[in-house]
Formats: sequence, C-alpha cells, structure tokens
Amino acid sequence: MASATEQRETDQVHEIGHEEYDPIGTAILIGIYFLILVLLWLFMYFVEFLGNGPTVVGALLTVVGLA
Amino acid sequence: MEVTRMSSTAGQTYLDQFPAEAKVIKAAFWSSFMALAIGGLLGLVQALHRTDVLRFIDSADYYTVLTAHGVLLAITFTIFFLVGIFTWAVTTSLDRGVVDIRFTWAWYIMMVVGTILVGVSILGGVVDAIPTNADVLFTFYAPLQAHPAFYVGLVLFVVGSWLAGADWFRTWWAWRKENPDERIPLPTFMALTTTLFWYLCTLGVALSILVFLLPWSLGIVDSVNPLLTRTLFWYFGHAVVYFWLMPAYMMWYIMLPKLSGGKLFSDPLARVVFVLFLLLSTPVGIHHQYLDPGIAEGYKFIAMTNTMFLLLPSLLTAFTVVASMEHGARQRGGTGYLGWLKALPWRDPVFTGMALAGLMFAAAGFSGMINAGMNINYLVHNTWWVVGHFHLTVGTAVALTFMAAAYWFIPQVTGKELWSRRLALGQVLVWFVGMTFMSNAMHRSGLFGMPRRTAEPQYQGFDFEPAVGTVGEINAQVALGAVLLTVALAMFLLNMVMTSFNDDSDSLPANTYAGTLSGPEDSPAVLDNLKLWTAIAVVLVIVGYTLPLASIVDSGGLFGPDIGGFQLAIETDPALVLESVREVMP
Ligand code: HEM
Ligand SMILES: [Cu+2]
Repeated sequence: MASATEQRETDQVHEIGHEEYDPIGTAILIGIYFLILVLLWLFMYFVEFLGNGPTVVGALLTVVGLA
Repeated sequence: MEVTRMSSTAGQTYLDQFPAEAKVIKAAFWSSFMALAIGGLLGLVQALHRTDVLRFIDSADYYTVLTAHGVLLAITFTIFFLVGIFTWAVTTSLDRGVVDIRFTWAWYIMMVVGTILVGVSILGGVVDAIPTNADVLFTFYAPLQAHPAFYVGLVLFVVGSWLAGADWFRTWWAWRKENPDERIPLPTFMALTTTLFWYLCTLGVALSILVFLLPWSLGIVDSVNPLLTRTLFWYFGHAVVYFWLMPAYMMWYIMLPKLSGGKLFSDPLARVVFVLFLLLSTPVGIHHQYLDPGIAEGYKFIAMTNTMFLLLPSLLTAFTVVASMEHGARQRGGTGYLGWLKALPWRDPVFTGMALAGLMFAAAGFSGMINAGMNINYLVHNTWWVVGHFHLTVGTAVALTFMAAAYWFIPQVTGKELWSRRLALGQVLVWFVGMTFMSNAMHRSGLFGMPRRTAEPQYQGFDFEPAVGTVGEINAQVALGAVLLTVALAMFLLNMVMTSFNDDSDSLPANTYAGTLSGPEDSPAVLDNLKLWTAIAVVLVIVGYTLPLASIVDSGGLFGPDIGGFQLAIETDPALVLESVREVMP
C-alpha cells in the first residue's frame, strides 16, 4: 500500500518518448482556462461599471467635461 | 537524458541516504506543522467572530489573533516547510550531504528562537503576564508600532533563513568542485534562484526594521516616515509571495510528473520559469500600493506592467506541469482528448492534493489579474476579495501542496509508513471543499465592499442589498468553510502524529524525483549563469524603486514629518480603545 512508486511502475503500459508525445489534452485544458478567463473578464465589466458609477474613468470623463 | 540519478540507490529512503540531514528536515517540518496548527485554529476563531456565529474573544483582541494568524501561517508555517524541502532538494539532487551539519542546525535553531520571540511578543496582547504587545498584523509597517522583541525576533528568523541559503550555496560549491562540467541539477537550480531573490527582497525589510522600526520602538528615534516603511515592506511583500510559492512549484515540477507516472515535459522551460521569478519577483511590490497617496501614478503603472509580465512564468508552469501529467496518464494507458484525466492516480493523496492545489491556483490566477489591474484594484482594495484571493494562493496552492507533500516526505525522513492513506485522501478533499466555500464567499463579499481586517462588520440596522445573495448567506458559507478547513487541519495533524508513532517500515518507496523528457542538455548554458541573472535582477530593482523611494523621502523626510504612530508596544486598555471607536461611530 505504501509502495505507491512501485505500483506506478507496474501501472505503466507503454513508454512514450519526447518525439512521439503530443500534449493535445493540455492544449485543450489551457484553451478552456483562457475561455473562462475571458468570460470572467466580460462579467467583470458588469460588476465594475454597471453596478456602481465608473471609478477611474469617471474622473477622466469629469476632467474632459463629458460627465 | 536520464535525470533520475538516484536510481543507483533504488529502494533507499532519504533517511537511509542522509540520516543527519533527515533529522534537521524533520525538525523543520514539525516546526512548520505547529505553526499551522495554532494559526489555523485562530483562523477559525476569526471566521466565527466576524460572521457573529460565535464570539468568545473581546473584539479589541481580534487584532492580536489576526496578527498571530497572519504571522504564523504566512511567515512561520511556509518558511519552515520551505527550508526543509530545499535542504532535501539540494542534498538529493547533488547526491551529497551538507558541508557541515552543525551549521545546518545553527540556522534552524536561530529561526526557532526568532519565532518564539515573535510568537511570545504577539501573545502578550492577550496574556497579562507577558508585558509585550505586537498587534501590528503580519504587514507590521508604521504607524503601527510593536514591542522591540517582535522586531528582534523577525530579524533572527530572517537571518536564519539567509544562513540556510548560504548552506545550500556552500553545498553546491562543494559539489561543483567535484563536478566542474555538469549542469546544475534542476532541484538545486530552483532552490538557488529562489534563495537569490530572497536575499534581494529581504534587504528591504532588514533596512526597514533595523534603521527605522526597531530604533523607533526602542525610543532611539521618535518618528518615522510611514509611507517609507510601507513601501519597504511591500518591496519585500510581493517577493515573499513567490518565496512561499517556489517550493510548491518545485513540487509540481519534480514530484507531480513522477506521481502521474510520467516525466517532466521540459527541464529548460522549468529553468526559464525560475529565472523569470528571480528577475521579476521584486520590482512589482508597488502593485500593493495602488491606493497609497504619495506615490505617483507613473510608478504604479510601471509596477503594473512588471506584474503583468509576471503572469508569464505562471502560465508557462501551468502548461509544463499539465503536459507532464498528461504524459504520465498516457503512459499509464490513458487515451482521448480529455479521457486521459481518468488514468491519473486520483487515489494517491500526494497526487490529488497537489493537483487540487494547482486547480485552486488557476482560479486564483483570475482574482490575481483583477488585483493587478490599477483601476479594478480600486474596487476590491482592502476588501475581503483580497483575503479570498490569498487563501487560494498561499492558503491553498501552497498550504495544500505542502500538506500533500508531507504525506510523502514524512515517511522519507522518518522511515515510517504513513498512518492512513485513506484519511489523507479525505483530508485533501475536505480542505478543497472547505476552501471553495470560504474563498468564494470572501471574493463575493469583497465585490460589495465588505472590508477585511474588521472584527465586527455588522451590516445590520440599515438597508443593504447586494446584487446577488445576502450578507447572511455569505457569512454562513464563510463559517461553514472555516469549520471544514479546521476539520481538514485536524485530520492532517492526526495523520502526522500517528505516523510518527508507527513502526519503522522497510517497504517505503525510494527517494527519487521525476526524470525529464527534454533534459538540461537541451537548454542554453547561459540559463545556469546565476551571476548574470542576479545582476539583471538588481538592475531591475534599481530601475523600479530608486525614483519612488527618492520621492517618498523627498516629500516625507527620511524619518517622517514627526509621526509618533500608534504605540501598540505597551498594553492599552481595551475599554479605552472601544470607547474611542464608539466616539466615531453613531
Ligand atoms: C483553517 C483554515 C483557515 C481559516 C479558517 C482562515 C480564516 C481567515 C480569516 C477569516 C481571515 C480574515 C480576517 C479579516 O480579514 O478580518 C484570514 C486572514 C488571513 N489568513 Fe487565513 N485562514 C485559514 C488558513 C490560512 C492559511 C493556511 C494561510 C496561509 C498559509 C492563511 C493566511 C492568512 C493571512 C496572511 C491573512 C491576513 C491577515 C491580515 O489581514 O493581517 N490563512 N484567515
Ligand atoms: Cu503582490
């Protein structure tokens, strides 16, 4: 039970070298992560600007006389 | 190509290979666990107090508790574990012991003495018999002032960590004499680059303590420039974040691939990542001060730009580590675009703990980007959002990785089998679930402006309607999360204690770390030129900090515009404090 390392060695069904390995699953996962980040950023727009008055931009608009 | 150099000693645990070093590492781990136990329990006290579920301390004492929680967890727990892991990494990967074990014990004992001084001076805030007070929180900048013993303890602790770094460098120099033409083994490379930026950033706090805070607390000078001590703190305060994180990164790079049944995808990429951290960890500290008056926006903008660059090594890490796990899963027979995920060893608590910690770190990546943006930072600054963020980073990415690592390391350094793997697996899951509740609720409450570092944020007796959910629901989630986290903590400690009572075992796995698919011979030798990278790091710090520091000193004076500060060094009557608070509150 403790010999997790030994278990793992027997678990290995084949060896994959550097040339034949193509981390496609990793690319997909990272892609999904980026997608989530983009969606959260879009969501942040609503939290930051629609819930409250604009903060930094607000000051700028006042300065240039737009607000 | 083959980096698993320890195959020569297959079947040997770390204890078999380095019995003397194993003792120091074990001591460092236990110091770390003790800090975790006390600090974690205080976290529960805070969570229940703030949410008004259970209040048994005086609200004036809340800051004593909060200081102890911050210092014990963010400084003591993390750094003691780090020195243990790095000592393991250097000796294991160089395949030689430290130069002089007495020196190793000396820095460890120095760190312990420092911790005791700091701990006792904080404890004085609630124990009348101890005449000290240090309710200055783990950020300890002026105008808050602590008893001198607090600062002296911090200095001892930090100098102890410097000597630990010197120990690793000495060991590496001794190895280099015997192996003049070899590349630095990856784990040692990681420990050394981390130590270098630690030296660079701790110079800031050392300066702040020795020149300003300690003399001020001793009454030698009677005023300081608070903005200067703040800036010097944050000069260190961001880099320390990476100091906590680097041992966790090391575990993800050199243990996770092995646990997954594969190899590290790229040794060169790992070296690039650690070099980037050496270069960029320090000249970003001003991103903690976006809201500080007295620092021009331009300097803040430079800090923001550096911070965004700092996302790069973390994204590289995400890619390399996940690709290494995928490699392992495919070698174990995993197939499909995402089906390989099922082939990972999810029943292994060491693997699962580290993988869940990495997942939480990915979530923290988002809230970190929000913190880093100058304008959006205004929205979340000093709210519970920030606390939610760093319980994902240091509180989980680091803490959970360390706990999971302990399930592998404690058997390695004691020669005893882990008491219960099932309890360990349950433990990492409970921590993950508990932190999901607590941290998510903290983030949300921050969005509607709930402040951090507040004993009684009541939100009662007036109309308050957040966009989504209610304050009561948020509080319930925080309290529930905190209870789950404390249960997980107890499960962890129980397993560690019972393991140390176990009989010696001779069926333990050998002391190894992951091999690499693409080894150091594929990377340019210049990556190992530590002098070059240190020089560039120093230049970046000079560029990033000279002008802001000069303008702070210029406008506020080296010792400040006569700032007496809040003398928390001596006992104040809590009744007085509360009275003064009530004066400003209706
Ligand atoms: C049992 C688990 C934990 C619980 C229940 C917990 C709870 C809390 C709570 C409620 C706060 C906010 C207090 C406030 O803003 O008023 C806090 C702050 C903090 N926690 Fe934790 N925490 C836990 C574990 C950790 C861990 C593992 C770390 C780091 C390794 C950590 C580091 C911190 C730090 C640095 C602060 C900020 C202190 C300050 O504002 O000065 N916590 N914690
Ligand atoms: Cu930072």
